[in-house]
Amino acid sequence: MDKSLYEKYGGFSTVSKIVMTLYDKLLDDDDVGPFFDDVDMARLIDHQTKFVSSLMGGPASFTDTHIESAHKHLTIYDAHFDKLKELVAETLSGFSVDEEDIQTVLAAFEQRRSLLTES
Amino acid sequence: MSIEAINEQLLRAIGVGVALVETKSLTVRFANDTFVEWFGPPDDTVSLYEVLPAFDRDAAIAGLKTDGKFTAEVTFKVKRRTMTVAVEFNRALEDEENMIVLVCQNITRIKELESMIDSYSMMVERNTHEIRREKEQVEKLLLNMMPRTAYEEYKSFGVVAPRVFDSVSVLTLDFADFDAILAAHEPAVIVSELNDIYTAFDRIGEQFGCERVRTTGDSYFAVSGVPDPVRDHPGSIANTALRFLRYLKRRNETHPIAWKARVGLASGPVVGSVVGVQRYIYDVFGPAVTTADTVRLAAEPMAIAADGSIADLLDSRFAIKLLDHAAGPAPAAAEAFVLSESDVASQP
Repeated sequence: MDKSLYEKYGGFSTVSKIVMTLYDKLLDDDDVGPFFDDVDMARLIDHQTKFVSSLMGGPASFTDTHIESAHKHLTIYDAHFDKLKELVAETLSGFSVDEEDIQTVLAAFEQRRSLLTES
Repeated sequence: MSIEAINEQLLRAIGVGVALVETKSLTVRFANDTFVEWFGPPDDTVSLYEVLPAFDRDAAIAGLKTDGKFTAEVTFKVKRRTMTVAVEFNRALEDEENMIVLVCQNITRIKELESMIDSYSMMVERNTHEIRREKEQVEKLLLNMMPRTAYEEYKSFGVVAPRVFDSVSVLTLDFADFDAILAAHEPAVIVSELNDIYTAFDRIGEQFGCERVRTTGDSYFAVSGVPDPVRDHPGSIANTALRFLRYLKRRNETHPIAWKARVGLASGPVVGSVVGVQRYIYDVFGPAVTTADTVRLAAEPMAIAADGSIADLLDSRFAIKLLDHAAGPAPAAAEAFVLSESDVASQP
């Protein structure tokens, strides 16, 4: 891939909108929303910005160790992970991201399932 | 519907929270739908301080007294979303009664976007820092391949134009019996020895105003006056050559391999340029280089052969005598001289 998805879809200008939409969806969702009940807004936004940027090959990248330790205190089940995946897909398609690219993002996301979910 | 009724409908329906507060009791008398949604319906028994989550009441009173207005930001949660509302207090008079008009704007999104920009700019700053560090490393590498002025030219224009330097001095050096040394030692030993020696040469050259152009195996090639002019380039290159031999003499006393250098010196014109499209290398070539190479062939091990072109330019600091062609290892093309340390120059 010559260009990252981040560049392909218009850089921060688009990513910022994706972040805000995903943030709204997460908070409104009653399955995954409760994970954020006590999270400070600035921290959550910071996390989402880095999350979306790294999913799309932008200027942030999380190491697997970082991802694992950041979610250690949470009890995440497969159903939560699936729901988040669904919300990410829904958000991206709302910004006319090609189906093929959505699948690439979701595949990268799926690879981290075992780091986050309870076995 | 009367104008007043339309006004009231509008006031109730707009996305801005509006409330009327009685100054004395600080109770909400009227609130529109948006205000009610955020802070609950008007209640005679509840003071404004309880209605609005913590804000600076003293500052509010002081602000209202002096300017007639005051602004505060109020944060609260709706479900799990952190809401931020900017509340503007305006003093107003209604039927001789002191009232406060509250105008509340939802600035949640602005706060969220501010957080996102903070987060993003931190990422970008960190990346910029990393890019700068990488750039410095690339620069360091390129500066190993070309002089700084050539590098600056390359950076600005993408190319380095060839330049003729009319009068510079050239030093070429190789080692006697290099093949024998090579055969007798491990390659790693040879490389480490040459590294050591060439690094010392570079340092000496730098001290006297010479710059190494390149090394090829056992040959070391330096110039004085390229690309930055050096006023006394013959003196500078002669001093460098003498120091090279002095350094080797000392080194040979304590090291197992005795390196015996032959040095050729010449002055004259050269061309300096970056050569190569993919693999850049700053090269110097021309008559002075060829002459220095040729005259070196006439040098005995641990001796310096100087071409007439440089010998004529050297002053009395240097001891120069005509080279006896019959005794030399190879005939020089033209008149050549032997350069050695004069009494003055040999002082440390």
